[in-house]
Amino acid sequence: MILRIDLKSPVPVYRQIVDAVRILLVNGQLNPGDSLPPVRRLALDLGVHFNTVAEAYRTLEEEGWLEIGRRSGARVVARTVSNRCDPATGEAFQRRLREMVAEAQAQGFPRSRITRELRRLADTLERS
Amino acid sequence: MPPQILFVLLLILIGGLFHIIPLLTRPDLFFAVTVAPEFRRTSGARRILSRYRAIVWSFTLVASGLELVSGMAVAAVLLQVMGFLWALVGGHRAALAYAASPSSILEVDLAMPQERLPGGPIVALLPVLFLGALGLWVGFHRDRLPPQFPVHWGLHGADRWVAATPAAVFGFLAIHAFVCLLLVGLAWGLLYWSRRISTTGVAAAAERRFRRRVVQFLIVNAYLLVCPAWFGLFHPAAAVINIWGLALATVVVAFAVSLMRGGQGGSRAAVAAGTAPVGDRTPDACWKWGLLYINPADPSILIEKRFGIGYTLNFGNPWTWVVLALLFVVPAAGFLFLR
Repeated sequence: MILRIDLKSPVPVYRQIVDAVRILLVNGQLNPGDSLPPVRRLALDLGVHFNTVAEAYRTLEEEGWLEIGRRSGARVVARTVSNRCDPATGEAFQRRLREMVAEAQAQGFPRSRITRELRRLADTLERS
Repeated sequence: MPPQILFVLLLILIGGLFHIIPLLTRPDLFFAVTVAPEFRRTSGARRILSRYRAIVWSFTLVASGLELVSGMAVAAVLLQVMGFLWALVGGHRAALAYAASPSSILEVDLAMPQERLPGGPIVALLPVLFLGALGLWVGFHRDRLPPQFPVHWGLHGADRWVAATPAAVFGFLAIHAFVCLLLVGLAWGLLYWSRRISTTGVAAAAERRFRRRVVQFLIVNAYLLVCPAWFGLFHPAAAVINIWGLALATVVVAFAVSLMRGGQGGSRAAVAAGTAPVGDRTPDACWKWGLLYINPADPSILIEKRFGIGYTLNFGNPWTWVVLALLFVVPAAGFLFLR
């Protein structure tokens, strides 16, 4: 369960932590009942400010993934989401996906590679 | 053997340690600068190393001569240390020309458990508790204490005695308890307030072993420190303190050899296993002269040294200054008590 962040990325570190942990949650590598390292521990290991990790945990708590206790730390909780997709979320998802693909193409990523990555993601989603 | 010859041998031993120190650091750090792992084998690296060693041995030679001619032991040690610092800073500056840009990727294994004090906090704090109990006992049985007790021992036994006044006795015990507490605090700090650099595989396991060994070393020393307090107050003239001295020296040498064999952060085991080096995940710019780490953005208080074996403080963390203030205030108070 490796959490990886890039200090040179334009994405803020707290956002990278949120995104990385969310991937682990969605992929089932983190399950309800699992604990995450305490804020202090994760901040020390990453070498970032405590507030950065605390902010990331708070965001995940607001999304309903985590429960943060004063003594027990951050714990993954069962999250119920409806399968009903509202149009705004669907549109935002499509827009972000197009933006990402365009950005990858602009950076010189070959189309075949992008297609391959999207297909692999789709296969993973179907299997899960 | 005359004490001056003995002292010169000690200076030569220290010179030998300075000689090998650059070889003990992580493979992608050279004189506290992040370099490509293969840089050590280049002619540029060999030139920097040769210059460093030439300075170290020149100063060791002059310091030894000073000791033999004038017997100025303190001046000789200062001269040797100054030479070492000069050589180190020079090596650091020269190595900066070959600096590689460190990886911007940081990794953490979320499943990696928090390491704990061996045996738990009670076992680690037993020496302090014992000294506290001893102080309590002494408070009720002062008549059983000798009129004088030793507070310092040299090669030929006790060489400094003080009258057993309440201030001196309790000050003596308090200093021992403080140093024990400091050692246990350092061990705790290494586990809870320092960064774990390697996250997976052989490198992480080797680093854990290295850290555990340093923690064990600190705790064992806290236990050993109880002995002089006990012997000083209850068996002041006994020669058994010499056995304690021998035991202490054996422990220090055994742990030092064990840590050196593993290399800084256990990095030798990782290299032997062919793991890609990751440096120490601290920015080069935060290392002043390769010795002082000043990074206010890093929450760690203790951090792996870039030059040599062990850990150093992050001087950019305000808590470091609180710890340092305590380190000076308490011994100063103890010194005033024992005067």
